[in-house]
Amino acid sequence: MIQWYAETLLRYGVVAAAIVGVMLLTYRGLRAAGVRREAATGFTLILPWFLGFLIWNLFPLAASLYLSLTNYNILQTPEWVGLANYQKLIGEDQQFWASLRLTLAYAALTVPLGLALSLLAATLLNQGVRGVGVWRTVYYLPAVLPAFVTALLWRLMLLPTQSGLVNTATEPIWSLFGDKGPRWFLDPNTVLWGFVIMSFWGVFGANTVIMLAGLKNIPKDLYDAAEVDGAGLAAKFRHITIPQLTPTLFYLLIMGIIAGVQIFDQGLFVRVPRENFLNVYLYTQGFTFFNMGYASAIGWLMLVIILVMTLAVFRSSQAWVYYEGDVRR
Amino acid sequence: MSAPTIPVPGEGRELRSSRGRLRQTLSKAPIYVLLSLGAAFALIPFVWMVSTALKTPGQLFKFPPEWIPNPVAWTNFAEAWTALPFGAMVLNSVFVTTLAMVGELCSAAIVAYGFARFQFRFRNALFLLMLSTMMLPWVVTLIPSFLIWKQAGLINTFDPLTVGALFAWGPFYIFLLRQFFLGVSRDIEEAAIIDGANALQVLWYVMLPLVRPVLLAVAVLSFQGNWNNFRGALIYLQEPLTRFTLPLGLQFFQATLSAGEAPRWHLMMAMSSLMVIPVMILFFLAQRQFIEGIQLGGVKG
Repeated sequence: MIQWYAETLLRYGVVAAAIVGVMLLTYRGLRAAGVRREAATGFTLILPWFLGFLIWNLFPLAASLYLSLTNYNILQTPEWVGLANYQKLIGEDQQFWASLRLTLAYAALTVPLGLALSLLAATLLNQGVRGVGVWRTVYYLPAVLPAFVTALLWRLMLLPTQSGLVNTATEPIWSLFGDKGPRWFLDPNTVLWGFVIMSFWGVFGANTVIMLAGLKNIPKDLYDAAEVDGAGLAAKFRHITIPQLTPTLFYLLIMGIIAGVQIFDQGLFVRVPRENFLNVYLYTQGFTFFNMGYASAIGWLMLVIILVMTLAVFRSSQAWVYYEGDVRR
Repeated sequence: MSAPTIPVPGEGRELRSSRGRLRQTLSKAPIYVLLSLGAAFALIPFVWMVSTALKTPGQLFKFPPEWIPNPVAWTNFAEAWTALPFGAMVLNSVFVTTLAMVGELCSAAIVAYGFARFQFRFRNALFLLMLSTMMLPWVVTLIPSFLIWKQAGLINTFDPLTVGALFAWGPFYIFLLRQFFLGVSRDIEEAAIIDGANALQVLWYVMLPLVRPVLLAVAVLSFQGNWNNFRGALIYLQEPLTRFTLPLGLQFFQATLSAGEAPRWHLMMAMSSLMVIPVMILFFLAQRQFIEGIQLGGVKG
């Protein structure tokens, strides 16, 4: 074990030294080419990120686009197949569509639900309650757990019949319908709801805490002015709180969508009866069956999905996100 | 001691105001009820996790559920701990987290300083580019990245989990640090430059001490992210078990434990509780930094 550590440590040091070396050379080169000192320094300082961008973003992006047009199983060289992977995915692969549906439905449910209830909680916390710090800590606590521990924990709590805490606690409700309660992760029809509850618990507090900061940022005098004009609670909420909070809501919406469609860890820690999330499907294709070309095609579709969704939100933001003058950035 | 009391002017008002505060608190009762419901929702699963971790198999699914198991099965922790080489996994996790954190912090600070304080061509375009990589799904770069490490012969080493951090792989951290560097007055910096300090010296001796709160916030988020890094371990670590980090060990653990007819939930929860302890301790020590770190993204954005 010591040896593994030593080897990694050595290579870590070598790469760090190499980055510094490239930075020095770049700086000298830029200066020799007559670039101003300030510009040369600036570009040199961002070089670690820029190198990383080339090696870990740009090249992999291009490479996976190429691989998505091939059949590749790691052992043999990639075999060009054109658009066949995409045609198969979109035209024939039922598993893909099922995973996509599950993933999109999951994002469509968790994001708005999370935002609405977090907004409620943050608004309540902002009513001058005592011990805001304590409430905030308690609410944030679930966000400290890694997603996979959250997944394990909720799998336990959502066990069917009287084994799981949730069904035990809600038994009176289900017995009204002469039912034993949903079977959650064991029933293909309720899997989605299990995941929604699970991740809602995980992000609810963090969203609340972010929104609370947004609420505290709203200038007090806006409310005072509205009160002078005789605005009630509802009017103040609708005409001041919501518009002023739109930048925060926008940020949380974008982040929520990006994180939502990329859900992965939870899917691997919960065994489900039928389809899993899209990223889990990609992982299975790529690293269980070694269909690396096919998996790359799924990855690119994921990229397109995220791009389309975030662009749509960005476009719509001009209509509903409110920025105070030019204060932004 | 029954001397007639002379009413003191201030007293009555004080009484009234404390009564008023009581009334105010009472009128807020519905708010407190709702908030308590939310708090219960947040806390009960934690209690259940610890409670399950302390149960014997026979107590697991008792009806009605037992919150404080009797007897308390402390041996679960020992049993879970020895079921897999968890000692080695803890060491691996500490090693990986330390290295990744150091790399991430140093490189992010340097890059953020470059973006914040120096004028150069394409700076804003590059900054936007950096921000947009936040939207890049990790799966789209996953396979080529895996192939790069495979080509380098470094699959099943700790390198993919640590060395990449040197390339400032956390755009969010760069963004946060930059926002705060922008807020530092230039005068302080210029004094140092006149004294003959170079950019890195200014960063280290002047800028970083000034933005220490944010640096701490980034550090705790980075610790949390790397300590909980399951994906990287899943992709890059293979065998033997002593090479796993904790998250991967836990996954292996749950896969083997739930393979049988009766999943051993008490052991899984015992191990989950243990793995969560460092982050929990850090959270209670540095909750302001944790909370501020995630709040800043929402407000400064």
